Amino acid sequence: MKLNLSDNLFGFDLPDSAGQRIVRKGFELFVGVATCYLAWKWGLYTLRIADVVLPLGVARYVDISFMHGNSLPVWNAVLISLLTVLGFGGFKGIGRWAYSVAFVLLVFQYAARYSLGEIPHSANLAGMGLLGFALGRLFFTDPLNGSRFSIGFSYLFIGLGYVFAAWSKLIATGIFWPDGSHLWMWINEKAVDEISRSGFVELNFVQEWAMNSRLLATTFLAVGLLTEFFAFLVWFKRFRYATMMAILGLHMGIWMTMDILFALSVWELSILGLPWAVWIDYFIQKRLKHQLPN
Amino acid sequence: MKDSQPQKTSSHPAKTSKTVILSVLLVYVLTVATNLGEFWPFSIYPMFSQAGRTWNRSLVREMPAGERVTWAASSLENLPGAPFSVRSNGVDPIDLANFVSKTLVWDSLRVAALEKMMFGGRTPDKSLMIFKVQGRLADRVGVEVTATPWVLISPGKDQVNPSIVP
Repeated sequence: MKLNLSDNLFGFDLPDSAGQRIVRKGFELFVGVATCYLAWKWGLYTLRIADVVLPLGVARYVDISFMHGNSLPVWNAVLISLLTVLGFGGFKGIGRWAYSVAFVLLVFQYAARYSLGEIPHSANLAGMGLLGFALGRLFFTDPLNGSRFSIGFSYLFIGLGYVFAAWSKLIATGIFWPDGSHLWMWINEKAVDEISRSGFVELNFVQEWAMNSRLLATTFLAVGLLTEFFAFLVWFKRFRYATMMAILGLHMGIWMTMDILFALSVWELSILGLPWAVWIDYFIQKRLKHQLPN
Repeated sequence: MKDSQPQKTSSHPAKTSKTVILSVLLVYVLTVATNLGEFWPFSIYPMFSQAGRTWNRSLVREMPAGERVTWAASSLENLPGAPFSVRSNGVDPIDLANFVSKTLVWDSLRVAALEKMMFGGRTPDKSLMIFKVQGRLADRVGVEVTATPWVLISPGKDQVNPSIVP
């Protein structure tokens, strides 16, 4: 197994293929669509925010209330969308800077939207994806190297993020974090959220199982913690797809037990966690063979 | 399908990537270290890290007109009024929960901001009681959940639980 991190993440010296090009552009398209979606979703919700409860991130340095009580969030969403289209088009000049400016504007959009105390992480992977493409454009003159860097950047920070999550749990709670009674607490907490959201709640069968068996609830949490702990294995090609599938399984588990679906992260993991490039190349090869006369 | 061979002559992209990654990591560490672990999209991902601790959420009930307001805590099964879906008013329940639990001083400005969140700037056309809900691990019952009336938003006059009036 090659342990060189640069080769595993970026593979600058490896041969390129049509499948890899399609996957890289497809991932860039996903990040672009996610950027526009978040800009509009956050922007439109910010229109109903009148006060800052808990300023975090950039809002601790800049009074983010200038984004409240006016239509600035909508104009910001328009600007971010335009810049994303320019970035995706890969135009010379502005195209090189477009993703970077869109990223900075999106940081402000996030701070304006989440000034009420909620600190969600569902859009973090998409945000890091955008930063990866922004840096790829800024620091690499060869577009091939730039896009390879952007994908590798996402793999690096996906692995790091989940490992951070595991460490946070061990530091804040200790080795007894997977105790099943903790899952009971979260299931009840999410049940109250559901009552608040829709007026009523009904536990699904997985939640019922977990609530009836502390051992099963403990097993769910232990498997989740181990998956996060070993997420850094996505940095290495040999383990990448298996680890990404395990992380996807972790998200499915969170969805079933706590009714939380990080939809954008699941999409991103599905794009980066399956060998799409190999499958596309195989398909193209097969079609070419079929078309060539014997 | 391998259809092109990049030159193997230069390690420049690898070197550039190393410099860029190290710079991003430095910014990452500096920003999360000075911002309680959060500087979007950088984070230490602390969600669900504090297991077993008491949690605070909120929910809303629609109160019948003319009903006397009581501020006593109760279980979820014995709440006054009728169920109310915050989604029907376009509100994210987690925003509401954070607004209620993280507000320290309930002055008139903060109550007005809560009213705007719930009604989007329109004049309230119904009485809504916002409850602060607390859950904690209890030996015998597993998880004990209690709801305390916190703020009443109504067409006439908004009211705040007397125990939290500034």
